[in-house]
This record gives sequence, structure tokens and C-alpha cells, in this order.
Amino acid sequence: MNRNSRVLVQGITGKEGSFHTKQMLTYGTKIVAGTSPGKGGTEVHGVPVYDTVEDALKEHEIDASIVFVPAKFAPDAIYEAIDGGIKLIVVITEHIPVLDMLKVVKYAKQKGSRIIGPNCPGIIVPEESLVGIFPPRPFKKGKIGIVSRSGTLTYEVAEMVKELGQSTVIGIGGDPIVGTSLVEVVKMFEEDPETESIIMIGEIGGTMEERVAKMKKEGLIKKKIVAYIAGMTAPKEKRMGHAGAVVYMGMGTFESKIKALHESGIPVATTPYEIKKLLVF
Amino acid sequence: MKLYEYEGKELFKQVGIPVPRGIVTDKPIKWEGKAVVKSQLLEGGRGKRGLVRVTDNVEETIKELMSLGINKFLVEEFIPHEKEIYLSALIDRDSAEPIIVASPEGGIDIESSKNVRIFQIPIERGVRSYDVIKIEKYLNVKGLEPVIKGLYKLVTEYDAELAEINPLAITIDGRIYALDSKVILEDNALFKHQDIIEKIGRSPSKEAYVELDGDIGIIGNGAGLTMATMDMVKLMGGNPADFYDVGGGADREKVKEAILKIGSNSKVRKIIMNIYGGITRCDEVALGIIEAYDKVKKPIYVRLVGTNEEAGRKILQEKGIPYYTDALSCIGDALRS
Repeated sequence: MNRNSRVLVQGITGKEGSFHTKQMLTYGTKIVAGTSPGKGGTEVHGVPVYDTVEDALKEHEIDASIVFVPAKFAPDAIYEAIDGGIKLIVVITEHIPVLDMLKVVKYAKQKGSRIIGPNCPGIIVPEESLVGIFPPRPFKKGKIGIVSRSGTLTYEVAEMVKELGQSTVIGIGGDPIVGTSLVEVVKMFEEDPETESIIMIGEIGGTMEERVAKMKKEGLIKKKIVAYIAGMTAPKEKRMGHAGAVVYMGMGTFESKIKALHESGIPVATTPYEIKKLLVF
Repeated sequence: MKLYEYEGKELFKQVGIPVPRGIVTDKPIKWEGKAVVKSQLLEGGRGKRGLVRVTDNVEETIKELMSLGINKFLVEEFIPHEKEIYLSALIDRDSAEPIIVASPEGGIDIESSKNVRIFQIPIERGVRSYDVIKIEKYLNVKGLEPVIKGLYKLVTEYDAELAEINPLAITIDGRIYALDSKVILEDNALFKHQDIIEKIGRSPSKEAYVELDGDIGIIGNGAGLTMATMDMVKLMGGNPADFYDVGGGADREKVKEAILKIGSNSKVRKIIMNIYGGITRCDEVALGIIEAYDKVKKPIYVRLVGTNEEAGRKILQEKGIPYYTDALSCIGDALRS
């Protein structure tokens, strides 16, 4: 992802799609087309709208797509982007059923497309390109890579390290099944020459954070990495807003994550405000 | 949406999992012979609280339980059995595949049990004969095919987040019965299952609200930030009364609803609102705040930054409502006051 990435907005005529298209254009993202069934031939903020992804691909080269389509129809939109051969698909939509997402993610992997999300804020390369719903305020070009399971908490953390700046910030989404995991993004940051250090923002539920700890233990992370985990005070078996932030059968507790991170030597901040301190020292 | 035991058992019957003969009642009934009277509640730990009773006098037992404030019962035939096991199905997040979780120790607290095994069954192929053999061997029980297939079906066709039988009873002559059910259907997928919803006649509770036992009301936007706010309040010596995520893109109506709900909780002494607008617009949030502000007779500490923050702050300023740009000082001031 960079300033030259050409982006398609799926669900561009909807309230969110249209609002964030404008925000992304303002940030400098190259949005070349949008789709909305039945709205082909119209325009949104000067962006041409097509009925289908296929129609848009006839007229434009597309590197990435961003999905604002409502949950009921979102799986169709994602399949359509995969079949169109789009390599990066950022799914903002919340409330897509887990079972649908499981099948969609499998299909994407078979076809060689990468999905970010669902229920995520997207990707931002500060001062270059935004494919997502990040507010520009906390972002500045720099060397820190941030990966997060949440949205707003990411803005908060980005702001804390604003003076140091960020290379790329990715929100992978808060659902039980997501297209791209913390581990995968940490690997990308490890290989990315623009990134010097990594911040991982996790939360209760699942075992992604534990798997990053394992990577660190195995010596696969050379760059400085620090973590913050939300949900210290969350009760068990209660879903904390995110579909994925729930502890069933003792899987994915706050304690197990903290323990794994400590044992691997990844420093863990107790509040988002401590992250910067851990990075600098 | 978590189902009551009897609702879960209805689904069990639909997918071919054997359950004891029983009836649901909200008043004392006559019953021949030995039975189990089970209070129908959504929370666990019924056994420990004495709300599940084996009895020869069903009518009396129901009367007793009704005097404790219980109003719905499942009365079932008593099944003498020699063995109890644990079986459940859910989607494993790490492998992104459905799994069967099994333990030869039924009726236990699965979280603390060491004797548990996970069997991954990919969605493309579903449950096969060799899966059944493997699970049966591990549990040392025969005849589990309908139960395993039934649980799997609940996850892969009914969109259950969790379908659990604890315990599954095996009788001396090898018959199998699900003595309990715990089924949680995924809220986001309920639109696909209108028939079930109509039968149940309930709609899912708003999952974005979780009540806790403290006195500081917490409202945030986004699960992560709301959780982090809760955690910080706790770390700074306060006690969160709730978790309330107004969600991404909340409009004034949702914000107003949140403040009124949290404000009406008698345990809550003050409210902390932590908003960092991305898809959520600060002006909408501010409009919600000013509509609810005077109706709640409790101090509200607002932190407001992000999309359209100037417009949002202007709205608050015009009403003379103070706000913060920094979460730490907002929480700090709230706790010190």
C-alpha cells in the first residue's frame, strides 16, 4: 500500500461509503471507482460508480477494494472482489456472521486475495494513503508500525506516539474470524524496511496474542515490539462489544495473554499511555 | 443469543440429539414417578444453587422453587445412568474451522479440566465416520454419531456460536441422552433463522452493554477503547459499573439512549464518556450529550476527540458543558471529584 495504490469503494453510495470516500480522497488516496448495484453511471464526489466490480475493472486498474456494504450483502461483495482478482480487500462492515466469514476467508486464501477485517478501521500509511475510516488527527509519518484488534483504541495509541510517527497502521478487526491475523501483520512489519519498531494492541478472546509471543520466543521477531491488551476488568463469558472479545472455556483470558507476552520478553503496557515509555526505553 | 435449556433441547431434537422426555411449565403439575425439576434460567450454576432437583413429588418441588421466585421449569423423566461425558461444538478462531470439544468427565467445569481434547472437522467435508471413531475411542463410548453430527450441524447450519452438552448421559444398556443444553446462537446470523426466532419469541439483548458491580458508569465508542477505559478506571482506583460501547458511527439517538440508560442505574454515581471519533462523528455525539445531559442528575465527564471534533466541542461549549481532550485527565478528575 502506498500513495499510488488504486482503490475501489464497494457500497460507495451508502451513507458511510460516501462520507468516507470523501475523507479518503481528502487524505490523498487514489479512489478510482465505486460500486453500488443499480447506481451504475452516477458519480460520488467525482468518483464514477458501477453496478458491479467487473464493470469497474473494465475501465480501471484496481489494487485494493474497501467494503462498506451492509452485513447481509457484504459476503457477496467480498466474493465479487475476490473473483475480480483484487488482491487486497479491506472490510469495514460490522455484524457479518462468523460462518459466512469463515467461508469467505478460506475462498480468499485459495484465490490469493488478502482480506483485512471485517469490522475493522482499515489501513493507513500516514501522509500517503488511507484505505479505511481512520481520522487523520493522530497520524504522522514515522517508523512505528501499529497493529490492533480494535478501532478507536488504535487512534488513541497512535496519538500517544504521534511525535515519533507511524510507518503503517493496520486494524485487523474485532471479529472471531478475521482475514488477517496479528501474527501475519507482525511478520509484515518485521520485513518492512520502513518500520523500526512495532506496537501490538490486543484484547481478550482468541489466542492471537499468545501466538505472537510464541513467534518472539522462537526468535522470529528481531525488531522492538511492545504490547497492550485491553480487557483486564472484563468478566468471563460476557461479550465485550466486539464479537471476538469474549472468553469461552477459559480460552483467551487476559491473564493467559499477559503471561505469554511476559514469558516471551515482550513488554506489556498496563495502560495505553505507557506504550510510548516502553518504546523509548 | 443464549437460549434457555428447554429451547436448546428443542433444537437438539431437530438435529437428532436424544433428550429425556419432558415438559415445560410455569405452574405446579402432577407427574407419575421420579423426575428432575429444572429451573429455567439463563445463567449457569443452577445445580450449585439448588435450583435443579430430583424428586418424587414434582408438584411440591415446583411450589417450593416458585417461592424462590423462579417462574419457568423443565420437568423431565429421571434417567438412571452409569456414565457422564462432555461434548460441545464451536468455531475455533485460530484454525477458522469448526471443532468438537470432548471430555470423558461430564458435568465438570470444562475450563479447569485437564482431560479435554479438541477435534478439528473442516467445514468442506463435515463429520465423517473416522471422526466419530476417533472421538468415541477417546471417550470410550459407542453410538455418538447422531450427537456429534447434531452438534456440528447446530454450528454449521444454525449459526450457533456454541452448542454444548454437559453432561451427556450413557445408561447401563448404552442409550444416550443430553441431560443439559447450552446453545448460544450468533446474533449477527439470526436474520437467517426467522423460524427459530419466531418460535423463541425473544430478540437478542444488546451485547454492547455489560453490567458490572462498581459505581462509575463507563461509555465509550468501540469495544477496545471502552475496555481500556474500564481498565484504566480500575487501575486508578475506581470501580466500573458497566461496559457500554455505543458502537461505530453512533448517532445522537444512540448516545442519548446510552447516557440515559447508564444514568438510570442507581449504583452509578458518575459517568465517564470516552469518545474518539473515527466513523463516529463528534458533532452527533455532542448532540446526544446535550439532549441527555440535564435529564441525568449525575456528573458526566466527557472526553471528545476525532472526526468533526471542532463542531462537537462547539455544541458542548454553547451549552456550557465541559469536556476533555485527554482521557487520563478526564478519568483522573472524575475519580478525584
